[in-house]
Amino acid sequence: MAEQTIVKKLKVLNAYGIHARPAALLVRAAGKYECEIFIEKDGNKVSGKSIMGLMTIEGYPGSTMQVSASGIDAREAMAEIEELFANKFYED
Amino acid sequence: MTITVQDLWDEGAERLSLSIIAGEQYLARKIPEIAMNRPGLALTGFFQYFANQRIQVFGLAEFTYLKSLSNKEKSRRLEELFNQQIPGIVITRNRKASSEILELSERFKVPVMRTPLVTMNFVNECTVLLEKLAAPRERIQGTMMEVMGIGVLLRGNPGIGKSETALSLIERGYSLVSDDITEIRRTSRGRILCWANEVTRFHMEIRGIGIIHVPSLFGVASIRRQTELDVVIDLEKPSGDEDRTGVHPESIELMGVKLPCIRLPVRSGRDMANIVEVAALNQKLKELGHDAAKELDDKIISRLTKGRVQHG
Repeated sequence: MAEQTIVKKLKVLNAYGIHARPAALLVRAAGKYECEIFIEKDGNKVSGKSIMGLMTIEGYPGSTMQVSASGIDAREAMAEIEELFANKFYED
Repeated sequence: MTITVQDLWDEGAERLSLSIIAGEQYLARKIPEIAMNRPGLALTGFFQYFANQRIQVFGLAEFTYLKSLSNKEKSRRLEELFNQQIPGIVITRNRKASSEILELSERFKVPVMRTPLVTMNFVNECTVLLEKLAAPRERIQGTMMEVMGIGVLLRGNPGIGKSETALSLIERGYSLVSDDITEIRRTSRGRILCWANEVTRFHMEIRGIGIIHVPSLFGVASIRRQTELDVVIDLEKPSGDEDRTGVHPESIELMGVKLPCIRLPVRSGRDMANIVEVAALNQKLKELGHDAAKELDDKIISRLTKGRVQHG
C-alpha cells in the first residue's frame, strides 16, 4: 500500500478531557503503528506517540483536535484513534 | 506577534508591582510598538513626532511639568495626548493620578496602571519583559538537558530512548529542563532559550514505570528551569552513514539560529548517556577553540604534505 496522509478533526467527548489515562491509551494505540501521528490544537502540534506531548496539548472536554496520520498503515491507525475518541476513551 | 496591555498585565503585574487604577475593561488594547515612551515632550504640545504606539510612562518629569501648567492648560494637553490612540499609561513612583487622567482614561478607553518603582527601574524591567513577550516561540519535540553548563537537546523517534538517556544523565548528576516537549524562544542575542511546559514541568515518562517527578526522586539539583541550547543530539537507528571523524560537523536551524547537530546511532547495550556526555564535553571544548577532529586532521595533512615535499 502506498504512503498516505489522513487528517481528521476529532472531538474530545469524555468528562475530564485528555488527562493521563486517555493520553496513555492514545499513545499505546499510536505506538502500535509505523506511521507518523500528530495531534494538533491551537497551533500546538505534538506527536501522538508522546505521553508528555498529549498531556500538554490542553485537550479540554468538548475541544476539537486535528489528528493526522501519515505512512503505510495510516488508515488502520486513524481508525483505532477515532474509535478511542468516539468511545470517550472508555470512560464515564 | 501582537501584544496587548492584558499580556503585559498578566506577565508583569507581580514583577513590576503594577496595579490598575483606571480602564481595567480596556486591557485588550494592542501595543503595536513593543517599547515605552516618556511623553514629556508631547505634553509641551509637540506632536509632530510622538511615539503614540508605545506604552506611555509618566514619571517625575511629566508630573512636575504638568504641575507647572494652569488647570485649563493641563486638561487640554492631557486630552490631546489621550487623543493620539495610545495603548496605555503607566505611572511610576506610585504618584496619584489626577481626576483628569481618570476621566480621560474612561473617555478614550485607555487603561492606566501604577507602580511604586522609580521610572528608571521600571523602564529597565519592563523592557526585558516586553522583549520576552514579543519573542517568537515554538513548542518542539525533544528532551532538554543541561550537561556541565552545556544545553543539550535530545531528539529522536518515539521509543528510541530519549527519556532513558536523560534519566541516566540525571543519575550522573546533570539536570533536566524538559522531557519530550520543549518550549523554545529566540533571545535578542540570537540564542535559543529552552524551558518546559508549565503543566508537565519536571515530570518524565519512563516506559514500564510511568510518570515520575524528577526533583522528588533526585533532588532539586536534578532540575533546571531554563537553559540556552548549545547542541542538538539526534538519537537514531544505526544507518551506517554516521559521522566517523567529526571533521565536517552537521548543523541544523531552529528559529533561524544555526546549531551544531550530532547524529548518534543507538545500539542495544550502548551507554548513550556516556556518549551524550562526551558529545557535550567535546562541544564545550570546541567553543573554547579546540576542535580535536580538525586539529588531528590538520596534523595528518601537514605530515602527509611534508612527506610529499621530501620525497617528491
